[in-house]
Amino acid sequence: MTELRDTNRAMFWRILRRLLGANRGRMFVMLLALGAGAAVTAALLNLQVDAKRRLTTEFRAFGPNVVIVPKGSLSSSSATLSQSIIHSVPANVPSGRVTAMSALYMVASVSVPPPGKSASAVVAGIYPLAFITAYPSARPNQAAPSSENVCVAGVRFAKEVGVESHAELVVASGDRRESCRVASFRQTGGPEDNRLEIDLRAAQRLADLPDRVSMIELTVPGTPAEIQNYIADLQRRIPDAEVRPVRQFTEGEAKIYNRISGLLTATVGIVLLLTALCVMAAMTNVAIERRMDVGLMKAIGGATRRVVRLFLAEAALLGLAGGVIGAALGILLSIGLGKAVFGVAARPRLIVYPVAVGLTVLVAILSAFPLRRLASIRPASVFRGEA
Amino acid sequence: MFLRLVADSFGRRPRHKLLTGAALALGMGVVTAALGVALDVGDRLAKEFRSLGANLVVTPTADSLPLEIGGVDYRPVNAGAYLPEADLPKLKTIFWHNNIMGFAPILEVRGEARPFVLNDSVHQPGNWVENVPIVGTWADHAVPLPEGGEFRTGVAKTNPWWQIAGRWFSEGAKECVVGAAFAKEHRVHIADSVSLASGDVTIIPAPLTVTGILASGGPEEASIVVPLSYAQSLARKPGEYRKLYVSALTKPEDAFARKDPKSMTPAEFDRWYCTPYISSIALQISEQLPGTDVRVIRRVAEGEGQILTHVVMLLWLVTLAAMLAAALAVGACSAASVIERQVEIGLMKALGAGSATVAFLLAAEQLLLAFVGGGIGYALGIVLARLVGERIFGAAPEPTLLVFLVVIGIAATVTLLGSAIPLRRASRIEPAPILRGE
Repeated sequence: MTELRDTNRAMFWRILRRLLGANRGRMFVMLLALGAGAAVTAALLNLQVDAKRRLTTEFRAFGPNVVIVPKGSLSSSSATLSQSIIHSVPANVPSGRVTAMSALYMVASVSVPPPGKSASAVVAGIYPLAFITAYPSARPNQAAPSSENVCVAGVRFAKEVGVESHAELVVASGDRRESCRVASFRQTGGPEDNRLEIDLRAAQRLADLPDRVSMIELTVPGTPAEIQNYIADLQRRIPDAEVRPVRQFTEGEAKIYNRISGLLTATVGIVLLLTALCVMAAMTNVAIERRMDVGLMKAIGGATRRVVRLFLAEAALLGLAGGVIGAALGILLSIGLGKAVFGVAARPRLIVYPVAVGLTVLVAILSAFPLRRLASIRPASVFRGEA
Repeated sequence: MFLRLVADSFGRRPRHKLLTGAALALGMGVVTAALGVALDVGDRLAKEFRSLGANLVVTPTADSLPLEIGGVDYRPVNAGAYLPEADLPKLKTIFWHNNIMGFAPILEVRGEARPFVLNDSVHQPGNWVENVPIVGTWADHAVPLPEGGEFRTGVAKTNPWWQIAGRWFSEGAKECVVGAAFAKEHRVHIADSVSLASGDVTIIPAPLTVTGILASGGPEEASIVVPLSYAQSLARKPGEYRKLYVSALTKPEDAFARKDPKSMTPAEFDRWYCTPYISSIALQISEQLPGTDVRVIRRVAEGEGQILTHVVMLLWLVTLAAMLAAALAVGACSAASVIERQVEIGLMKALGAGSATVAFLLAAEQLLLAFVGGGIGYALGIVLARLVGERIFGAAPEPTLLVFLVVIGIAATVTLLGSAIPLRRASRIEPAPILRGE
């Protein structure tokens, strides 16, 4: 009995091998259709997971999205915070690193020696002054200044005071004065255009407010929900200050993020569904061509169940082969696409691979199912060539 | 005879043709839906990005340096220059006037405020609060257009993240909106009223009714927002404003847009001028409003440009991948249908048909399928693209003839290419062995 089963099994595999090898052209087109489906499935699934994560990083192009200000700063803008508060800011979030910038604002008189023009202007002490990189939109003409006596002039400020590049400026507040050299100009279209930015420590000496800042700006990466949680958490850590989102950007981002990720999901969903159906139709088309094979098998005594099982096994094997090759190609494709779009290669997600292969096998098996209709075939009529 | 053969082929194997047609229709449905979404998405997302508010700011050229800390300008009212409000309708006459989504002039005054809190239906006068920022602007202002009609705009368009509990003031009425921080500190609620004065406190104007509380997350929360005309009378600057925010739909800047317009050839300049780049819109605005500096709010404009470029590119690549997969699957399907017909081809050749005739017959069949399948697929894809567009953007993409032509073209090319390879092989077949069943 066992022997018979073994022989049966050996015969099953042998027939299967022959079925696959019988028509190379047909096998090739089936593999092509399944492989293309698997490739696009894997590429889109991988890209979709990756693109959503990448989008949150993209939004940081807008610059800082969270600010820490002194409590009640809205009614009196001279309130300040302790600089040490920055140590309570968690530097890491799941999506990356938080960058922080501290600022101290004051109105001071700026002059260009020897007795050049003097004007009253907003002077911002900034740490780190190289935060130009945190506003990628600002185009620094030169490398970011790093040493203490460098300053960055806003374009309108520079025009008003008549500052040239590398000019020496004297900033005075009361009887305290500091000098600095203009390293670069900034044009942002915002209030930064009207002010002079100097090193935070110099500004603190000028204002006689050691270790105080007016505001800390944070750039927090992450999805809108993650940023909300971060703000709530930060507010609990520093109850003496007020943590607020930069609503213009957090709200706009939330809206746009939802749209884009919805769009991606919908597009990917539709493409996947239609591609699966398309591959299925193509495969079914091939399958129903095989009346001759079925007829022959039945004529020499194959039970319908065994015949169908044979064809299902063939389809599953093809699906597996197409899926394994196609999904690997698809993941490679998505890495390339990620690199083309975001400049950073998409990280391959291992879970995508088995999912894509599994879907392909499923599609292949489903598309072989119409063969069950062939159960009603009468072998004799097939051989006589009747349709 | 030719037509009869084609018709016979369809009639004899309807299920087969139906399946090939279905594969084609589904594949072309993918192509149509993906193309429809990708073609449309740039414009739609650009509109979505307007939820970030204004991307251009207009200030007088002759203005003195603003002393602005935390959004509060510390300059006295009589310092600096102002711009005429009467010029504003000209904004809607620039070349890209349809891309101007909204604009709002701003006039800031510092003054005194005296809240009247409603208590048992009697307004209890509070104390005068000094040094309150008063922002004059438009909430929902009708700007008459030169060609007739009106354009409604205001700060709700340029600063969409401002949330109003209650409602905005109506123009002309004695109404105002109070910032959330001011309202909390002085216990002002909706339906209370506030008296405002600037400079001379001896003439106390009639109080304004509070219609809403403003939450903006910014320094505006400490201020009182009033209609522009009221702020003008407080500042004694009738018909003038100091700052204008403009929200414009733009095309993301590319390498060409970053060229200096002064160094362009006339042809290049025309092309630059007639493209809705933020820089060319800024130039057009400054041409219409003399004596102004139009500056791009880079933080908004460049962030938007970068994200928009990436998302549109991503969708195009997804579309291309989908098109490729659909083409391969459909091509494979047509290839299979030719491979299976070797016996038929052999018979035709045995009866005296040349290879060209056979190829022509099969190609005609495939093309017929391509047109029918492609047409059905186009309809299917349009429906799906509409669904996506409506669900996500609330507006369906317009079906375009271009997409239809592309889809039919792809369908025809793919089926022909798919059947070309097996056809070539079939044309080399000797009929006799095939007919003998070898």
